[in-house]
Amino acid sequence: MSAGYQPKVIGFLCNWCSYAGADMAGTSRMCYPQNIRIIRVPCSGRVDPLFVLKCFQRGADGVLVSGCHPGDCHYTEGNYHTRRRFALLREFLDYLGIEKERLRVEWVSASEGQRFAELVADFTTELARLGPRS
Amino acid sequence: MDMELIQQIRGKARSLLEEGTVEGVIGYERAGDGVTSRPLFAYDSSAAERLIFDDTCTHNLVKYLLGKRGKKMAVMVKPCDSRAINLLLNERQIDRDKVFIIGVGCPGVVETEWNHKSETLQARCRSCLLTKPLVYDVLLGRELARKAEEETYSDILEAEAESVVSRREFWREQFSRCIRCYACRQVCPGCYCPVCFAEQLEPLWVGIRIAPEENTLWQTIRTFHLAGRCIGCNECERVCPVDIPLSLLNRKLEKDVKELFAFQAGLDPEEPPPFATFRKEEMPELGE
Repeated sequence: MSAGYQPKVIGFLCNWCSYAGADMAGTSRMCYPQNIRIIRVPCSGRVDPLFVLKCFQRGADGVLVSGCHPGDCHYTEGNYHTRRRFALLREFLDYLGIEKERLRVEWVSASEGQRFAELVADFTTELARLGPRS
Repeated sequence: MDMELIQQIRGKARSLLEEGTVEGVIGYERAGDGVTSRPLFAYDSSAAERLIFDDTCTHNLVKYLLGKRGKKMAVMVKPCDSRAINLLLNERQIDRDKVFIIGVGCPGVVETEWNHKSETLQARCRSCLLTKPLVYDVLLGRELARKAEEETYSDILEAEAESVVSRREFWREQFSRCIRCYACRQVCPGCYCPVCFAEQLEPLWVGIRIAPEENTLWQTIRTFHLAGRCIGCNECERVCPVDIPLSLLNRKLEKDVKELFAFQAGLDPEEPPPFATFRKEEMPELGE
């Protein structure tokens, strides 16, 4: 990653799996890029497409929406709704000129600290490759 | 003008009003220019004599039912408009018992502007496959066998084939002209939230100033709220005072919803809409 450009990443993490996964990465002292700003939500189903649009409008370079793996949602089915909603939103953003790579939907469980750290590193690298949003 | 059909419509409206079956009839009358048409709310049989129907009757009158909730109303419905009835029934916004639907056979509506009507059918009519309304209490006029062109979404596919940068430039230019008059929202039968996100003050989702980035946010979310709900009446594009090609947004989502979820809005009042349901095994690639 170039030292000059640091992409801004907003991460919406669900309280039950992904936020705990990020916490696991932290308590395990894993290193990952500091580009991500985490917002904790009760469930990935809480993330309104409006939140994502607002992030992009206010200068975020990438948005991560992360929840429990399908089947493991604390509220049984929240993440299934998330999946449908964001599958469509990614296509729509791409159509409007925001590359779909800038919106990621990922499933991270509470035990997957390693996966979370790798995910953030990978996403940040990809965003750096895409460059700043014009 | 099909005078026989118009006489049928007036007769039906008159009897509905005189028998007290409905409080009012929502239909069309000739506009002040003598060429185009405008909505008419007929509350007595003399007003019912002004009802007309022809190929300038473009308005989707179903929208007006939302303002008459609780009242027993009759409404004139073209085949395309009937999908809006199904949408509102599906979302429990209107009571089927309170609405008397006067279905009319429709040969398609033409492009109109004040004092002028063209000979060309609107694009949405050229690809319309409905020969009669999907739901009605009485059907007037003929059921028409139509030679519809297949909806291929060719303009959408063309846009998708371009680079993301050129699409960004295109929409930036389009949205920069938006004056946020919200006519697209006001005319839409699917837009009925008591408080629209665009008017919420806390949090202030859409800034008050008319700036390209606020306009983009407004149009993106407005369209996305209609994903799997837009019935393609294209009224939003028709009323847009700055001619933003909103059908390119609505039909993009219509196409994707069809592909991803095999769903089309307004065809069935009981089928759950795509964002109210899911299948566990679908889209395994996302997020893994």
